[in-house]
Amino acid sequence: MSKEDQETANALTAPTALTPSEFATVEAISGRIIPTTDTPGALEAGSAYYIDQALAGAYASHLGTYKTGIAELDSHCVGLVGKRFIELSEQHKDEILEALEAGQIEAVSDGPKLFDLLLRHVMEGFFCEPEYGGNRDLIGWKLVGFPGQRYGYDDPYINRTVDLDPTTFDGPPRKVD
Amino acid sequence: MANRVADVCLVGVGEAGGILAKELGTAGLDVVAFERGNVLAREDYGPRDSIKFTARLALQDFIRHEPNTFRSSPDQRAIVRRSTTSALGGRMLTWTGQSARFTPDVFKVHSNEIAGGIAERAGADLAGYDIHDWPIDYDDLEPYYEKFEWEFGVSGGGTPNPFAAPRKKGFPLPPLRRNGKMELFEAACKKLGYHPYQNAAGILSEAYRPPGPYDTRIEERPGCVYCGHCNYYGCHVHAKAAPLYTVIPVAVKTGNVDLRVNTKVFRIDSDGSGQVSGVSYFTPEGEVEQQRARVVILCGFVFENTRLLLLSGNGDDRGLANSSGAVGKGLCGHGDVRTVGLFDNFVVNSFIGPNTAAIRMDDFNGNNFDHSGLGFIRGAALGTSGDGAPVQWYAKGGPPGMRRWGKAYKEFLARYYTRNFEINSATETLPHVDNFIDLDPEIKDEWGIPVPRVTFSFHQNEKKLQSFIGDIQQNVMQAAGASQLWTRQPQRGQRWTGGTCMGDDPETSVVNGYCQSHDIPNLFVLGASVFTTLSGYPATATIGALCYRTADYIKKQNTWFS
Repeated sequence: MSKEDQETANALTAPTALTPSEFATVEAISGRIIPTTDTPGALEAGSAYYIDQALAGAYASHLGTYKTGIAELDSHCVGLVGKRFIELSEQHKDEILEALEAGQIEAVSDGPKLFDLLLRHVMEGFFCEPEYGGNRDLIGWKLVGFPGQRYGYDDPYINRTVDLDPTTFDGPPRKVD
Repeated sequence: MANRVADVCLVGVGEAGGILAKELGTAGLDVVAFERGNVLAREDYGPRDSIKFTARLALQDFIRHEPNTFRSSPDQRAIVRRSTTSALGGRMLTWTGQSARFTPDVFKVHSNEIAGGIAERAGADLAGYDIHDWPIDYDDLEPYYEKFEWEFGVSGGGTPNPFAAPRKKGFPLPPLRRNGKMELFEAACKKLGYHPYQNAAGILSEAYRPPGPYDTRIEERPGCVYCGHCNYYGCHVHAKAAPLYTVIPVAVKTGNVDLRVNTKVFRIDSDGSGQVSGVSYFTPEGEVEQQRARVVILCGFVFENTRLLLLSGNGDDRGLANSSGAVGKGLCGHGDVRTVGLFDNFVVNSFIGPNTAAIRMDDFNGNNFDHSGLGFIRGAALGTSGDGAPVQWYAKGGPPGMRRWGKAYKEFLARYYTRNFEINSATETLPHVDNFIDLDPEIKDEWGIPVPRVTFSFHQNEKKLQSFIGDIQQNVMQAAGASQLWTRQPQRGQRWTGGTCMGDDPETSVVNGYCQSHDIPNLFVLGASVFTTLSGYPATATIGALCYRTADYIKKQNTWFS
């Protein structure tokens, strides 16, 4: 997906469950969980869009946890250095997330649980089937070498890299007559 | 019709209920079969969607996941988990597909290990364990294992397993295609002097329809396409054996099976004659109705069979068929020990399926090895494993100490998703007095019925065995050439058995060798709940064999049915 296409896609999928500000925080967290390096990360894959879409549907029961958790995390950051989470340096963001994971941020009610939820959902958004809103351009699957949800494999690829173009899906369940 | 006295009432239509419905319906008996789950279509279970079938497993609304509560010891408060799958055809719809016959020693752990002195030589501490022999032995089941394998379609053979149970007839299908992790594991086992073999799979290696004298009414199905979506997924081509598209359609076509889905049986009824008289159930609309029957057969999962007996006491606090007090006891579950290996010099591609296309070795299973001085009895098979789309794989985490996020973890995922496999061992658990099922005193299901409460933890024999097996796995993984490896010991049990155990002695067991209640001759219990001990193999093939055997027994009771 080109940068322009991605911006268009983003505009078409403006957050529905989260506020724009909450969404920005989730996006920033996703960017630290799977950072952009010489390969794209969770930002480019659209993990935050996956999360927002899920919170508007299947994961609606987690929406309260997100809203409370993000508010608590931000107020902790503001109290600490006078900035919201998204305004911190990348290194500082990592330190905050480490503390959250370790349960060292008292302002957040159940930090480790919130962190686990964020981690799980960011990863899901990175590796999901694209119709769930993440794994854009199959960024997650390409990174790890997964050729997609294939109908099957004609070859076992023993000690060989699978040389198939990743595919989102190459066929519905087929009826056997 | 609702008030007729049926010949047989089946409670649950999964593997056990499916086989019994087909066998008894074919014999001309009037069968009413209750299933609390729904009828699923291929569009429900067939999509290769890793979010729907793995990440959001607990949210699946097309398969019901019944609540149970769990705790690890009697002094704890139990927490709710949803672990019982309900749908027409049961958990075999989404099983992994490993189809292993138990070996003769599995049926006689008391005779061999305790009376026979193996435990003493091992120096095993068996305080707290309550171990009995099965009332049947391997020879009783051998013809019925064969029937299961030929009706459901099992692929096997290839490298012989010197520890395998003797079989009169070969497998109906050749083994599944080999894959990378099999090559690595097999070479490692051979290097160490062990005896690797390709395991049997309830997955067709080529198109198959049962030939005569087996049931030729079962439809032809195609061979596996190796997509890699087995465990938790339904098979989109129907290569994986499942009652939904094998025995159940045949049962329905007999015209003698009145299949009632979305119905919930909540009590087995008794009429005071010492026999059971039928069942009470909720209709799909939530109305309470009764169905009378000459014979009632419980065909549910371990927890549910046990719960239904405990709920049906009609004033007796112990429940139904429980003069022994053994209902709920004998609960066992495998402790899966897993060693992960990463390979810098081999592309493994573990996501290419099926996971059941595996090499295993039984050198440390059962009593196949000298236990002298080891401090434990029994054992486990070792076998290749480690399938899954990326969204399943990331969640297993990296090497111990590696943070589960950030740049290093991203690099780990990128480098090793295609370059890893696991050695898995389903270590045996022995029946222990502190592992049992009862009714939860607080939590009720959506019908207001107490849910089954599971109390389970691994005790001294399991812990020693698991540690021993972990060491063996590490040796094998090392020999396979792994550049990094680590072992994960089990935190909880899985693949449950027990609760309504079979035995010869009515004072210590619930059912006899035909899975018939000692107390109530027209009540039967089928499924893994009747297993007296667990074994180091999965239960599916043995459940099937027991069902075919009990069906033959019931068919011979001419005086029971008009």
